[in-house]
Amino acid sequence: MTLVFTALQLVLLVPASWFVGRASSARTARRRASYAMALAGMIALAQVAWHLFELPWLEWPADWLAMEDPHSWVPAFSLITCLMGFTAIALSPISETRPRTFRRILLLISVALLFLAVRQPIGLAVLWSASALITWLELKDLRQPPRIAKLFAIYHLPSAVAFGLGAMLLIQDHAAAGLVLLLVGVGIREAVIPLHSWFPPFVQYAPMGLVVAFFAPQLGVYAHLELLRGELPQQLAHIVAALGAVTAVVAAALGLAQTNAKRALAFLVMSQTGLVAFGLDTSSPVAQIGALLTWQVIGVATTGFAMTLAALEARRGNLSLRAPAGSFTRTPRMAVAFLFMGFASVGLPLTLGFVAEDLLVQGSVEEFPVLAFALIIATALNGVSVMRAFFMLFSGSAEHIGERDLTRREAGALTVVMATLLATGLFPARTVRELERVTQAQEQTVGAGSASPGAAGRLPQTEKGPRPKTRSLNSW
Amino acid sequence: MEPVVNWMILGIVGFPALAVSLLGLRAWVYHPWSERTTVAIVGLGFTASATACAITTAWLLAADVTEVRVPLGSWFSAGHYSFDWNLIADHLSIPFAMFSAVLLGLVAAFSRRYLHREPGFARFYLLLAIFGAAVEFVVLAGSLDLVFLGWELVGLTSALLIAFFHERRGPVEHGLRAFVTYRLCDVGLLAAGVALHFMVGTSEVGPAGDGPWAGFAVPSTWAGATIVGLLLLWASMGKAAQLPLSGWLPRAMEGPTPSSAVFYGALSIHLGPYLLLRAESILQASGLAAGAVIAVGALTAVHATFVGRTQTDIKSALAYASMTQVGLIYVEIGLGFRYLALAHIVGHAAIRTLQILRSPSLLHDHHHLEQAMGRQLPRTGGHLERLVPSSLQPWLYRVALERGGFDAVLQDRMLAPFLRFISRIDRLDRAWVDYLTKPNAAQERRRLHDEALP
Repeated sequence: MTLVFTALQLVLLVPASWFVGRASSARTARRRASYAMALAGMIALAQVAWHLFELPWLEWPADWLAMEDPHSWVPAFSLITCLMGFTAIALSPISETRPRTFRRILLLISVALLFLAVRQPIGLAVLWSASALITWLELKDLRQPPRIAKLFAIYHLPSAVAFGLGAMLLIQDHAAAGLVLLLVGVGIREAVIPLHSWFPPFVQYAPMGLVVAFFAPQLGVYAHLELLRGELPQQLAHIVAALGAVTAVVAAALGLAQTNAKRALAFLVMSQTGLVAFGLDTSSPVAQIGALLTWQVIGVATTGFAMTLAALEARRGNLSLRAPAGSFTRTPRMAVAFLFMGFASVGLPLTLGFVAEDLLVQGSVEEFPVLAFALIIATALNGVSVMRAFFMLFSGSAEHIGERDLTRREAGALTVVMATLLATGLFPARTVRELERVTQAQEQTVGAGSASPGAAGRLPQTEKGPRPKTRSLNSW
Repeated sequence: MEPVVNWMILGIVGFPALAVSLLGLRAWVYHPWSERTTVAIVGLGFTASATACAITTAWLLAADVTEVRVPLGSWFSAGHYSFDWNLIADHLSIPFAMFSAVLLGLVAAFSRRYLHREPGFARFYLLLAIFGAAVEFVVLAGSLDLVFLGWELVGLTSALLIAFFHERRGPVEHGLRAFVTYRLCDVGLLAAGVALHFMVGTSEVGPAGDGPWAGFAVPSTWAGATIVGLLLLWASMGKAAQLPLSGWLPRAMEGPTPSSAVFYGALSIHLGPYLLLRAESILQASGLAAGAVIAVGALTAVHATFVGRTQTDIKSALAYASMTQVGLIYVEIGLGFRYLALAHIVGHAAIRTLQILRSPSLLHDHHHLEQAMGRQLPRTGGHLERLVPSSLQPWLYRVALERGGFDAVLQDRMLAPFLRFISRIDRLDRAWVDYLTKPNAAQERRRLHDEALP
C-alpha cells in the first residue's frame, strides 16, 4: 500500500511543482505549494491511519518496494516528511524564496517520499543523486555568494558517485567495498566530521526552505537503515558510532563559538545528526529507537526552529550573535516559538526530544560508557547554544526596527509543529512501541540471516520479501 | 481513603501544571488574561496544591503511615528500559512540597502589587507557575529520571526570570551565565541517573530502610556508590551555588525581587540539598562522597561569609548569606544530620524569603528601627573581625572584594581558553572552505599576512 499512497502523493506534488514554478509571484507560489503540501500531508495521514487500523494490504509481489511491510516505519516518516515540507514552505520568506525555489522544494520532498518507498539500491542511488542535483541547480542560480554551488558540488558529486558505486558493488556481491563507499556517501550527506565543511556555508547562504527540504528528510539515515543496518562488522560499526559521537560533541562545542545565528544552527543540526549516526550503529535496540526518535525530532522540531530563524532573518537581515538585538516586546510569539523549538530540538522535558535523548543515552551506556557521557555533554552544550541565540536575538536591548510578530500563516504552521511536539512528547509510548516492533522484527530477521551459513549480516528480509541479490560479508 | 490521597498527591503537581496550561495557551493566542485573573489562576493553583499537601499530611499522620507511593504507569518503555511515573510522599517530600506551595502562593499574592502594570506581568506569572510545577515534581519524584525532568524546567525558568528585564544587557548576560552553570551541572544529574540504571538496574527511590525516609538504590560496590555520589554532588552544586560555581548567584539578583526571593532565598537554591538528602544513603555508603559534600559546604560557607561582608548592596549581601547557610546545610547532610538539615532548609527558606521580599524597603525599615531606638543601629559582625589578625584583614578584604578570585579563574583560565580553542578550529574550517572554493585563497592570505608584518 505504500506504493499507492506514495504514487498519490507524487501524482499530486510533481504536477503541482510545475504550477508553482510558473506562478507570477513568490507569494502565489508559496500559497499553491502550501496547499499541495497540505494535501500530500492528508494522504500521509490516511496512510498512517491505514497502517494503525491494520486495514488490508494489497498483495503485490514487488520486492523492490517497501510496501508489504506491516512493521514499516514508512507511514510515520512519510507523514513527518510532509509536515517538514509544509513547515518549510509555509514559513519560507518570499524575500529569499522565488517561485522556482518553491518548485524545487516540492520536488525535493517528492524525492524524499519516493526514497522512503523504494528499497532497491540502484533506485536509491538515483534518487540520492537527483536530490543533490535539484539542490545544486538552485544554488547555481543564487547570486550571493557565487561559490556556494561550487562547494556543494565538490562534496556532493563524490557523495553521489560513492553512493552509486557502493550500491552497484553491493548488488554485485562486493559487499566490503560497497559498504565503505556507501558509508562515505552517507557520511558526506549527513555532514559527519570530517566530511562536514559544506554544511555550515550551505545553511548560512542557501534559502532555508531548500536547506530543510534537502537535509531534514535525512535520506542518509534511511539509506543507512535500508542498506547498512546489520551489515557492518562490529569494529566498523563501532568506528562509525564513535565518529557520530565525536560529531555530536565537536559540533555542539563549535556552535558556541559562532557569531552568526544560521551558522550556529548548522552546528546544532550537525550535532543532532551525530547523535543519530551514533545511535544507529550501537547494538542496543533502545539506543536505536532513541536514534530514530532523534531523526523525527530533527524532522519536526529542528525544522520549525530553522524556519523560525528564517522568518526572523527576513525581518531583520543578517542575524549576528555578537551583540544583543532586543525586540522581545515587538515579537513575543516569535521569541516563544524560537525558544520552544530550540529546546524541543535539544531535549526539553515533555517533548519528543527528551524521550529521544533519554533512550539514546540509556541504551548506549552499556556498550559505550564514555561516548554516552559525551552525548550528555553534547546535549548540554546544545542547550547553551539555543539559550545564547535566544538571548542575543530577542533581548539585551530596548531598540528595534519595528518588525512585526508572526503572521497568522506563520503562527498557524508553528502551532501545528508545536502541538505535534507536545502531543508526541506527552504520549510517546505508542511511537516508541511501534519503533520497537520494527527494530525487533529486523533484529530477528538479521539474526535469522546470520544463523544460516554464508548469509552473515544479510539485510532483513522476511517482512519485505527477498532482496534482489543475496550478499555476504565473508570478504571482510 | 488511600485513592483520595493518591489523587491529592497527584494534585500537588497537577494544580500548578493546570495553571501553566491555562496561562500558556491563552498567551499563545495573543489574549493574555487580565492581571486579576492571572493572579487568581496562579494563586488558586498553589492554594489547591498546598491544600492537597495538607490533606496528605493529615492522612499520613492519622493513619500512621511513613510513605505513600503513587505509581502513575509507564511514560514509555523500550526493551529493558522503562521510564515510569512514580510519585512519593514521605517525611522528606511532604514538608518540602508543603512549604513550597505556601511560599509560591504567598509570592504570587505579593507580586500582584509589586509587578502591577509591569510589561512582563503575564510572563512572570507563567514562569512562576512553571517553576512551581517543576519544583513540586522534583520534590515528589519517585525516581532520579523524574527528578531530572523537573530539574531542567527549574533551570530554564530561573534563567528566564533572571533576564526578566530583558531590555537591559546586564540581566540577560547574568541569565545566560546562570543557565550555563545549571546546564553543566545537569550533566551530573543525567549521568547519575544513567549510572544508577547501569549499576543497579533502576533509578527509582528504593524501600525505606533504617533511615527516616527512602532513598535511591545504593550501588553494590564502593566505587559505584562514590561515582554516583560525586555525580549527584556535582549536579546539586549548580542549583545550590556552591564553590567554585557560586558566581552566578549574586548576579541572579537582577531579576524581579519576588522571583529572587522564591528562587534564591527559598526553593531553587535548596533543591541541591534536597537532592542530597534523598541520596543520603548513597553518600554514606561511599564515605568519600559524604566527605566531599562536607568539604564543598564548609569551603562555601567560609567563602560566602567573608565575601558577603564586603558587599555594598543588600540583595548581593543576602545572596551570600543564603550561600553561607546552604553551605552549612551541606555540612549537616555530609555528617548525616538529616532532620537538622531538613529543619535548617525550611527555617532558612522562610526567613530568607522574607528578607529578600523586604529588601527594596531596606532604607525605610532602617529609618523605622532607628526612630524606635532613638539612635543609629549598632554595627553587627564584629566577632569575625576580632578572630582575624589585623595584619591579615586588608588582604582578606581585597580577596573578599574580588569574590575569592573564583570567577576570574573560571573565566580566564577555563572558559576563555576553551572558547579560543574552538574558535581556532572554526577558523581552520573556514580556511579549508576558502581553499576549496577560492583558487587564490592561499596567496591572498599570504599577501594579507605579509602586509600586516612591519
